[in-house]
Amino acid sequence: MFDLIYLSSLNTLRNARRSAITIMSIAIGCAALASFGAFINFTFEGLRETTIRTQLGHMQIYAKNYWRDHITNPGSVLIYERENLEQILEQFDGISSVAHRLTFSGIGGTGQASVNMSVIGVDPARERDFTDFEIVVEGRNLRPGDTDLGVIGAELARGLDAKLGEWVTVMTTSLDGMINAVDFKIVGIVRTGSTEYDRVFVKVPISLAQQALDTKAVERVIVLLDNTDDLAWLRPKIETALATLDEKYETKQWDELAGFYEAVVSLYNGLFRIFTGIVAVVVMFSVANTMSMAVFERMGETGALRAIGAPQRTMVLMFLYEGLFIGILGGAGGVVLALTLSWIIDIIGGIPMPPPPSMSQGYQAFFLMTPEILASAFLISVVAALMSSIYPAWAASRTNIVEALQKSC
Amino acid sequence: MACISLSEVSRSYVSEAATSIVLDKANLDIPKGAFTAICGPSGSGKSTLLNMIGALDRPDSGTILIDGMDITTLPDSMLASFRNEKIGFVFQSFHLLPVLTATENVAWPLYFKAVPRRERMRIAQQKLTLVGLAEHANKMPGHLSGGQRQRVAIARALVCEPAIILADEPTANLDRNTAKDVINLMQTLNQEYGVTFIFATHDPLVISHAKQVVTLNEGKLIFLSSSEMKEAASHV
Repeated sequence: MFDLIYLSSLNTLRNARRSAITIMSIAIGCAALASFGAFINFTFEGLRETTIRTQLGHMQIYAKNYWRDHITNPGSVLIYERENLEQILEQFDGISSVAHRLTFSGIGGTGQASVNMSVIGVDPARERDFTDFEIVVEGRNLRPGDTDLGVIGAELARGLDAKLGEWVTVMTTSLDGMINAVDFKIVGIVRTGSTEYDRVFVKVPISLAQQALDTKAVERVIVLLDNTDDLAWLRPKIETALATLDEKYETKQWDELAGFYEAVVSLYNGLFRIFTGIVAVVVMFSVANTMSMAVFERMGETGALRAIGAPQRTMVLMFLYEGLFIGILGGAGGVVLALTLSWIIDIIGGIPMPPPPSMSQGYQAFFLMTPEILASAFLISVVAALMSSIYPAWAASRTNIVEALQKSC
Repeated sequence: MACISLSEVSRSYVSEAATSIVLDKANLDIPKGAFTAICGPSGSGKSTLLNMIGALDRPDSGTILIDGMDITTLPDSMLASFRNEKIGFVFQSFHLLPVLTATENVAWPLYFKAVPRRERMRIAQQKLTLVGLAEHANKMPGHLSGGQRQRVAIARALVCEPAIILADEPTANLDRNTAKDVINLMQTLNQEYGVTFIFATHDPLVISHAKQVVTLNEGKLIFLSSSEMKEAASHV
């Protein structure tokens, strides 16, 4: 087998210019595939971290049956023993922050107009890690000790024509069904990253939210980890620890709550599959053309090899190895090209991208190359090259020996 | 017993214009150790006959026995190993692999017999020495003259030690002096090692060296008499 591979590799280099062009086209296809994969990877990671750090945390803890009863009977599925719960959570290594929230919807305004608001009550002292991805457009974010202050989304501010320092009144229904209202002064206008969310976003100290709903409880406890990858092994441990408490809880992790993230992943993966198909077809045509030319040009040699005893299987293998060799060289070239491209993009500080759908901010895109992405782009190139060699190899092995020998070397 | 025996062998080519009969129930016996030339004008069917003896082509009817084995009944899957073991080929255009050295070219048929590489190369060197090319063993075919390439092709044909070597116009691409050297080499191999040589040729030089000459006449194979052989070779 080694000798056949050796012969195939020498044959590949015979027509150096043609082989180089084919190898280059595979390399470009492979690099394009790896780069697109790396771009998607970067986008996924960016979106994932944005989703986790602005809204969901890595994991949320609710009172038992929260998801069953939170609309019909919200008061029955709140967390009343928050301190015990947070004490347990703070003992775990790998948890960077624990926060609690209480949310409600209401209608609010500054006097001139009233709009729907999605109010989130937070403890500013515990929310610092969550504000990393919140961009303050004007004013400031909430600080520990704030009581009747709040920040609102930029789109909401524009809708209300509200300015810093103005007072907003929010009306809602308390847990026992009474109409209630609270007031807060705008200290900051922020962007969350999502235009839709910005239209309704209101953040106030949790004490104000509790006052609006007339409760001392919280709705959920949010856990932020040091590393997203730790979630898989930490979640079961946390659940085991929670089971020891008197109050009963249920948990959800971020991807169970992030419908938008799943939709984006699904869309991009679909695009990636289509792109992979296109690249594979281009590679296959390129290699098939080269291999067909090689088979045609070396007809005399093929006939001679068959005459001196080469079985058909050997001829098939000889040309398949050539396709494989071209694929490996092209794939390896593609990996080098992709890494170089990624390095250049790092050097120039990324590619400026417009805001994604429903997002308010553009971003700098980078290529997040991983061994998995490079390996799959390489493998796709090699497999496509190999597959496109099958027919030329088969045709060479079936060539009539007498006719083949009439072709001069 | 004849080394090669053709019995009632027919072969024709059908085209849109006409049917061309190359062999018509032809019979031929060639003994072991023969040095036989098959002659005739271009297109008379010399190469077709050689191809059928070499199991590269099949007759329409009749039997061809090589060392007592009827090769017309062998399945395609067995023909490759039959050719590898029993037949050596020397082609007009040499058909060497240009990416391999002379030694590697000569050794290549042994690959199909699964002979280990080291052993293959040793045997190939021996055969190259036999044809007088020991000095050129590591040269690529592109760096050899036409005569040297044909010698490499002869060494390749010898490497599996076949019973028969079939040479299709072996001197057609060579100048006269080189052609003489090549035919003398083949004659030496025939006389000293008993290798059976059969040529398809219309070269009087080859015919003049042949022990037997067979001519194709209206699809039949006829051995020439001594005087006819002299006449055929008189154009040297």
